[in-house]
Amino acid sequence: MNQQLLAKTFVELADNLVADFDLIDFLRLLTDRCVGVLGADAAGVLLADRDGELRVMAASDEQVRLLELFQLQNDEGPCLECFRSGSPVIVPDLTREAERWPRFVTTAHRSGFTAVQALPMRLRDEVVGALNLFRAAPGPFDPAGTLVAQALADVATISLLQQRSSHRSTILNEQLQTALNSRVLIEQAKGKLAERLGIDMERAFTTLRGYARAHNRRLSDVARAFVDDSEPLPGLGT
Amino acid sequence: MRPGGRSARIQVLVAEQAARRGGRAGVLDVCTAAVAALPVGGAGLSAMSRTAASHPLCSTDDISEQLEELQLTLGEGPCVDAFLDGSAVLTPDLLTGQLQDRWAVFADAALEAGARAVFALPLQVGAISPGVLDLYADVPTVLDPEQLADALAFADLATLLLLDARIDGTGGPAPADRGFEDLDGYRAEIDQATGILTVQLGIGIDEAFVRLRAHAYMQGRRLADVAADVVAHRLRFSPHAEPDRADEGT
Repeated sequence: MNQQLLAKTFVELADNLVADFDLIDFLRLLTDRCVGVLGADAAGVLLADRDGELRVMAASDEQVRLLELFQLQNDEGPCLECFRSGSPVIVPDLTREAERWPRFVTTAHRSGFTAVQALPMRLRDEVVGALNLFRAAPGPFDPAGTLVAQALADVATISLLQQRSSHRSTILNEQLQTALNSRVLIEQAKGKLAERLGIDMERAFTTLRGYARAHNRRLSDVARAFVDDSEPLPGLGT
Repeated sequence: MRPGGRSARIQVLVAEQAARRGGRAGVLDVCTAAVAALPVGGAGLSAMSRTAASHPLCSTDDISEQLEELQLTLGEGPCVDAFLDGSAVLTPDLLTGQLQDRWAVFADAALEAGARAVFALPLQVGAISPGVLDLYADVPTVLDPEQLADALAFADLATLLLLDARIDGTGGPAPADRGFEDLDGYRAEIDQATGILTVQLGIGIDEAFVRLRAHAYMQGRRLADVAADVVAHRLRFSPHAEPDRADEGT
């Protein structure tokens, strides 16, 4: 693990936590850094909705297939186990778990992943979701890397409390709801932009994010304006 | 793994209210059912808009009616905040000091009207945000996690009923006559497909959502499956024709 890069990462995350905060944008940054710093090949942050269903909040790549791989863990998989147990689930070689999680292992293998980690997102006594890391190569995980991954999962949890409404109340449940709705907005915007420009979902997401950054605006505000057609967004989707 | 079908249970409660009233399920039935199911005294619902005027739609008693009117007239209060922030505003006790500053005029007026706790839940599906569901109690009240989850489920159902009442899904019986929708279980493709339909049909997001659901109903298919087809481009919608399935033989 590159120590300098690690230090830079935490400084960057801290900066983004305090300034002009956008939850989905922040979590995407976090998953990108998981890939860069921890040597993961893909990362995702999943949050449980009010009925305990895990939903993707952000991923290092928005390709439909990858999101599906996170999503199907509502039935079986390391993420589900992690969420239920509240403990990390570390799987150095998925091929050994084919009986444990038949569907997940097959789908992960098809996407080229052979090792998985799931770290719990805990707030006080509650597990609210999980950070899910995939790797192409099988083999043991560096214990130091796992510690850092747990720290990043904790940062993701804290970021939920940074949403706009946090001044009013610190009860978690409303904030989870708000977070999930923010994601719905992004999905709607992705669909619209992907269709309009004839691009895939990952490009649609990065285009939205790029536009927001170039114009110094929150990702969620751009997404809403785009879906609503409530203001001209020159250069986006035209 | 399915959590026991909260949405299905809520739909049953609302349908029962509608049956009692002798009419089709509507937003008033959501309000009535919510009052029966939750530790609250009354419920009201307002249609909200950033661009047009907001207005009250229904309420279960005089106090709720007053609260709806107050918030819209004063332009402040949990309802307004919930709509603008896109976040539920839960106020267990209006007498709490800091709130007096936040909604100075509203808090006093609401207390005088007989409300002590107020819960405002935005009706929203991403960019679709047609209104707010407001609940009040005449004593300080905290909703526990289960009750809050139920309240949110009532708000979700109200969102669909409100949209369906306004927008023609083009085809088939009125949505309220369709029976239960499979609302349990979330798929990101549903939201993506909604966005896609705004482009394919040249319509707004509210209508796109209504049309997508109407199509699923008319075809007897799960909404998630229809959405997956749309995202994978196996199913395309166009303004002047029936939706086209790419893998259907001719």
